[in-house]
Amino acid sequence: MGLLCSRHKRGNQANTEENVQAAEIERRIEQETKAEKHIQKLLLLGAGESGKSTIFKQIKLLFQTGFDERELQSYTSVIHANVYQTIKILHDGAKELALSEEGASKYGLSADNKEIGEKLSEIGGRLDYPWLTEDLVEDILKIWKDPAIQETYGRGNELQVPDCADYFMENLHRLSLPNYIPTKEDVLHARVRTTGVVEIQFSPVGENKKSGEVYRLFDVGGQRNERRKWIHLFEGVTAVIFCAAISEYDQTLFEDENRNRMMETKELFEWVLKQKCFQKTSFMLFLNKFDIFEKKVSKVPLNVCEWFKDYQPVSTGKQQVEHAYEFVKKKFEELYYQNVTCEHQDRVFKIYRTTALDQKLVKKTFKLVDETLTRRNLFEAGLL
Amino acid sequence: MISIDTHLAVQSTSNDGRIDFNRIQRNQRRNITVDGGEVRRPVSESGVDWRRAEVRGVALVKKDGDRLMSRLKKKKTEEAASRLMSRLKKKKTEEAASRGGCPSDYVALSVSIISFVFLFLRSTLPFIIHKVPRPKGSSFWLPTVQIIASFNLLLSLAMSLNIVRFHRRHWWQSCYLWGVWVNGPLGFGLLLSSRLIQVTHLYFVFVKRRLFPIRSYISLPLALLPWVAWAALLEIKQPINNHCHMGTQWAVPHMSLPVFYIAALVVITGAIHHIEFKFDELKDLWRAILFSAFSFSVWVVAYVLNETHEEIKWLQVTTRFMLLVVASCLVVAFFSISFSQPLVSVMSLNKKESFKMKTMGEALGIHDSGLLSHNDPALDVHPNDPLHKLLLNKRFRLSFMEFADSCLAGESLHFYDEVQQLEKIPVNDPVKRVYMARHIIDKYINTGANMEVNISHRTRQEILTTLDLAHPDLFKNAVNELLQLINMNLAKDYWSSMFFVKFKEAAMRNVDHEVNNGWNYSPRLSSVHCPDDPFYQDHMSN
Repeated sequence: MGLLCSRHKRGNQANTEENVQAAEIERRIEQETKAEKHIQKLLLLGAGESGKSTIFKQIKLLFQTGFDERELQSYTSVIHANVYQTIKILHDGAKELALSEEGASKYGLSADNKEIGEKLSEIGGRLDYPWLTEDLVEDILKIWKDPAIQETYGRGNELQVPDCADYFMENLHRLSLPNYIPTKEDVLHARVRTTGVVEIQFSPVGENKKSGEVYRLFDVGGQRNERRKWIHLFEGVTAVIFCAAISEYDQTLFEDENRNRMMETKELFEWVLKQKCFQKTSFMLFLNKFDIFEKKVSKVPLNVCEWFKDYQPVSTGKQQVEHAYEFVKKKFEELYYQNVTCEHQDRVFKIYRTTALDQKLVKKTFKLVDETLTRRNLFEAGLL
Repeated sequence: MISIDTHLAVQSTSNDGRIDFNRIQRNQRRNITVDGGEVRRPVSESGVDWRRAEVRGVALVKKDGDRLMSRLKKKKTEEAASRLMSRLKKKKTEEAASRGGCPSDYVALSVSIISFVFLFLRSTLPFIIHKVPRPKGSSFWLPTVQIIASFNLLLSLAMSLNIVRFHRRHWWQSCYLWGVWVNGPLGFGLLLSSRLIQVTHLYFVFVKRRLFPIRSYISLPLALLPWVAWAALLEIKQPINNHCHMGTQWAVPHMSLPVFYIAALVVITGAIHHIEFKFDELKDLWRAILFSAFSFSVWVVAYVLNETHEEIKWLQVTTRFMLLVVASCLVVAFFSISFSQPLVSVMSLNKKESFKMKTMGEALGIHDSGLLSHNDPALDVHPNDPLHKLLLNKRFRLSFMEFADSCLAGESLHFYDEVQQLEKIPVNDPVKRVYMARHIIDKYINTGANMEVNISHRTRQEILTTLDLAHPDLFKNAVNELLQLINMNLAKDYWSSMFFVKFKEAAMRNVDHEVNNGWNYSPRLSSVHCPDDPFYQDHMSN
């Protein structure tokens, strides 16, 4: 606000009416700066596609007015874009895999689907996506159900297939209805890379700012080039919510296909822990995407990731999932305590298992986070 | 005996040079031989007058003879003493001539110090005055390496030529360290190798139109390998004598190595001289080659003269002086940043002009790439128009860019802007296209660049390994990806931001109330104060 208002002021010095307006704005700034001292700053950090923006959307849904119809409608183009992009990635991936000798039979599209595939791939490369019509939906489903594409999807970890692919393909008919308005769930599944910094201010109790804490939550981009910008946010942070997608142990980065995502998360977490500004900051580690992790762990062993290479699988079924999860959690705990020095003794560190798409879970998790931070505040104020 | 004689003579001549007859007599009585003859006992005084006369006569003759002898002896000692003095003086000057400490040496040393300081200032001042962010990667390291090499070269010359007098007691003053290692692989060799790498980069970029595939932290050591190998060979074989000279059979290969490198420089410069460079690169190159060749020939001449005329002392002094002064001129003339930082090389050091920091578009003379002018049309925009069409309008683009800068997402817009400028360059002007493309890659595409954009790995690799830097569709995929990103991520927030309102106001139309309802709720920006971020600076100068 300050930046805006000073610009406004500079431009309108001649006009007395606007001087009055400027004075009013100045008063508001003063009020807000006073209020700002009581605002707690939360940062959502993490590697690319770890779920930060989904948590951000969830907080918006839970503690603010949520999404109004206009905003929901604005997500339609995003969802359609996701559909086209997914098909393009799968089609191009299948083409590439079919270039090798063994791949030709496995990943080669059937004759009629080839043309459709090329057409869809061309659409996916445009800037303006066409509206999803019934015809296009038929074509897309044909391609999606082609065995070559399904095989490629099985190797989706080598490509940059978004996690929402499954969900949107299942609901494709609904998405193409003429008066389609995205549901909350659709909006949460929609995948958009965040660039720059987004923030919201909320209070977990209600709109009444006097009771309960007031939080200002910042969402950032996770790709490497976006991380340069994080440093501008590091002052005066109450808590860092670090999102780590535990289902990504067999995937590579969007911005560097030679690097494993889990290894990148590990290094990033270490880097964040070592920052001087975060000596007194509480750390909430969200081990995210548990739903995908559950399904993946029985098919792909954890050992494919270098960090987890000493994992010994045990039994099958639910026990296996729990065991694998406990292993991952322990790894992160070890990592945290390796990077803790005597200056960090008072720092709070908590790990939460989350699935950012699940609203109830996020609400529960955030309540726990809120409790921890409140307790911490009282502790620092000397009341505990 | 002679010594005693002289002693006697000295003694006898102590009384004003007159021969003391009595003393001689006394000495005679003391049995000291005078002329190697026998001692004659003095006859009694009574009846031997004629004898005394005889003795007296003999003594007189003897007296004259003695006087003559002593005079001769005096002359001899004087001559000997003066010869000794002159020999001592000669030795001192000889030492001075060979070990340094002459006034001309100090003059040369001060010239070299001044030239290095000047070089350092010339290379760092533009960055400090214009507050240009430090470049990354090889465009920073190659010039830095050149400055270090220049320093090493001057230091090694000062030490190995004994400009300042030192007793060679410590290992770190040895001739091998300075004359072989610091002078070769770390000095002159490093200078030539780094310039060779830069010229090779230029050749690849402008003639072959692709980026140099080998990273500079691999290519520079590779280029330096022959120097290191030769220095190691010298270290093993130890052919250098105490005066830091080596025999002819070693000197010839020692001199052929710089010749080879200078020849390589000339060859590659010849391969690119047909290109119309815009930032004086060719002029700088020829200047560097000329100075290197000149200083190398001065060195060879000095070496040959020193070997053949070792005894002429003024020659040694002169050659020392010449070598150091020529080396100082070389390091100043050799340096240029036009290869790695063409924009900085055209910046004036005048502080008053510091705000006129040029963009590459301006420097290349691309039409309409600077600030807004009155002629730019205002646009009637609606949020439902496709964004990529709206962005073609300059006013809208600048307003959107300001908004993106305020929420730290500006690099995508700046990239888009510069690609638009690139597309204005006609296809039949490949040199300008290559300049602009290289500038864009350095600024936006390289990993770790200041304003790196958010594109996928595949797109980035396609650009970095392209086979044609002047290709019109080089950045098409990247622009597409970023426009999609902007569309899905930033556009919504822009319509509900203050910047859009200002844009509307500036277009002198009534503020659209429907849009205005949500203007004071923008999820972007506010408490992100960052006065020294690159976007803020860039947009200030834009």
